Amino acid sequence: MGEKGSTQTLIGGSEAGKPRLKALGVGVYDPGFARPLAAMMHRQLLRFRYARSRLVNAILFPLVWLIFFGLGWSAAFNMAGGLARRLFGGLEYLEFLAPGIVAMSVFTGGFGSGLGVIWDREFGYLKEVLVSPAPRPALILGRILGDSLVALFQGFVMALLVSLVAGFPGPVGFVLELIAAYMAALASSSLGTLIALKMRSPEGFHMVVNLIMMPMLFISGAFYPVTPLPSWLKALAYINPLYYAVDLSRGLVYGVHNTPLLLDAIGLAAVTAASLALVVKEFSRIYIA
Amino acid sequence: MSSANEYAIVALGLRKRFGELEAVRGVSFKVRYGEVYGFLGPNGAGKSTTVGMLITLIKPTGGEAFVAGYSVVREPVEVRRRIGVVFQDPTVDRDLTAIHNMLLHARIHGVPSRIAEERAWELLEMVGLEEHAYRPLRDYSGGMIRRFEIARSLLTNPRVVFMDEPTIGLDPHARTGVWDVIRELKRRGVTVFLTTHYMDEADKLCDRLAIIDHGRIIAEGTPSQLKSKVAGDTLYVRVEDGGVARLKRLLARYGEVKDAGNGLLVLVANDAPRLLPEIISEAQREGVRILETRYTRPSLDDVFLLLTGRRLRDEGGDWRFWGRRVARRLL
Repeated sequence: MGEKGSTQTLIGGSEAGKPRLKALGVGVYDPGFARPLAAMMHRQLLRFRYARSRLVNAILFPLVWLIFFGLGWSAAFNMAGGLARRLFGGLEYLEFLAPGIVAMSVFTGGFGSGLGVIWDREFGYLKEVLVSPAPRPALILGRILGDSLVALFQGFVMALLVSLVAGFPGPVGFVLELIAAYMAALASSSLGTLIALKMRSPEGFHMVVNLIMMPMLFISGAFYPVTPLPSWLKALAYINPLYYAVDLSRGLVYGVHNTPLLLDAIGLAAVTAASLALVVKEFSRIYIA
Repeated sequence: MSSANEYAIVALGLRKRFGELEAVRGVSFKVRYGEVYGFLGPNGAGKSTTVGMLITLIKPTGGEAFVAGYSVVREPVEVRRRIGVVFQDPTVDRDLTAIHNMLLHARIHGVPSRIAEERAWELLEMVGLEEHAYRPLRDYSGGMIRRFEIARSLLTNPRVVFMDEPTIGLDPHARTGVWDVIRELKRRGVTVFLTTHYMDEADKLCDRLAIIDHGRIIAEGTPSQLKSKVAGDTLYVRVEDGGVARLKRLLARYGEVKDAGNGLLVLVANDAPRLLPEIISEAQREGVRILETRYTRPSLDDVFLLLTGRRLRDEGGDWRFWGRRVARRLL
């Protein structure tokens, strides 16, 4: 750097027995892109470790659906016999429901992670990262990556629990389920973060999430197939990222799907890419005022 | 640009307008390396907005500023690489431990990890928090968080450290702790820019300061220079009864003299510390025996009063900070 006096400040000042700051090179650092990205990702994982209630929350809700909704309807559909099986692509209702429940838990988790963005603004941590020389896209992308890994972990736990009820889909099926879950996690974390960046208060975020989460769940194909739906509802399903996540998950695990798997994957990737682009644009505004 | 390189901070007519309100109306000042420079003024005077522009988070609507030789408008990233910031409100991740917060800061700022860890511990020790390094920050008191944030701001070995109201909302004991840390920084030659609305804080810590009101700098100088703007110091001189008349004549040369009785004369004049020895030796020459002398100096509050006709008031804790803590508890 050749900067005049760059080893000033904290260096020196040795008192007997006291550790001191050594001259450790110049005081001007270049964070680059990868380090801040990894740091923000790591932060989300650390936060998750310290806030286990989030895990319970993200697991409990879908589990309630699986048990009280799934077992109930499963019993009812068993009375209908073969007709019901045909409706669910040859699957038992619990099998039909299982991949959807996993995708749903991941999606809920990823979506909710956006709340952290709002709390960071509220508690000031946002300013701590904004005043750093790190590239803004690295900071927000790292955060989303971390959130998506947390959501994936939630999906993993959920997939294990679901296996107990609906049967283990085999190691390959399980891994494929997790791959689908990760794509859903990335899409939902990006989307959740995007919404959070536009919101000014946690209440606002909760409102928007509740408002869109419910219809999103119901027309996702997780609980019932979307094929028999009236065309306007079906159209809504096809713009619902959760639909693609559920269809992909079920397709990979049981080979039962409504749209081509490649299309599901492209749909999820498109939602992710579009959200990320908007997130980066929003977060890269240089000034806060 | 040459002056921009000699000084840690150069502000040239900085302005910021928020809609109708012009929060900062053209402030200019220079801060030398190694100096502790303060902005003293009441709430809403434009202190935080000025800091915001200097640390590149607020876009000036006019003027220009250089920090560590780089333009805050054209080279914000270069500025950010060379500064440490302690914001008015806490900016920590309360769910993580102090050491995690430290190391995250280091990685976001690109400090190599082998340096970061060593320095993080040294800084925690400097602010007396090394024993609390593994506690999550939500267990810290306001004073501890403040000291932690100062330590964190030094992790990158910055050339200039900005502190916006570093002791706001702290109890007297915690304030003293923060002052000790700032004095330690000064001893180590760190350039510090701080804002405060506590006149005693500005007086004790700053080498030089600017008094700011309604977005303008209304006075600048060392604390004693500023205080000498006020009519002057008050000198009290007590003599034997026989010498009163002669001393009164002698003192009248320096200013207005009042006889307080019992041989006590009161004089208002500038620069008492320099004046007193002179008065004593003059009195000796005249054969007047002086029994007692003392003087009082004006405070920065008197300076503010003189300049604005208002007093700087010390307000209570920062309600926003406490409001947020309450909100956090409820969740």
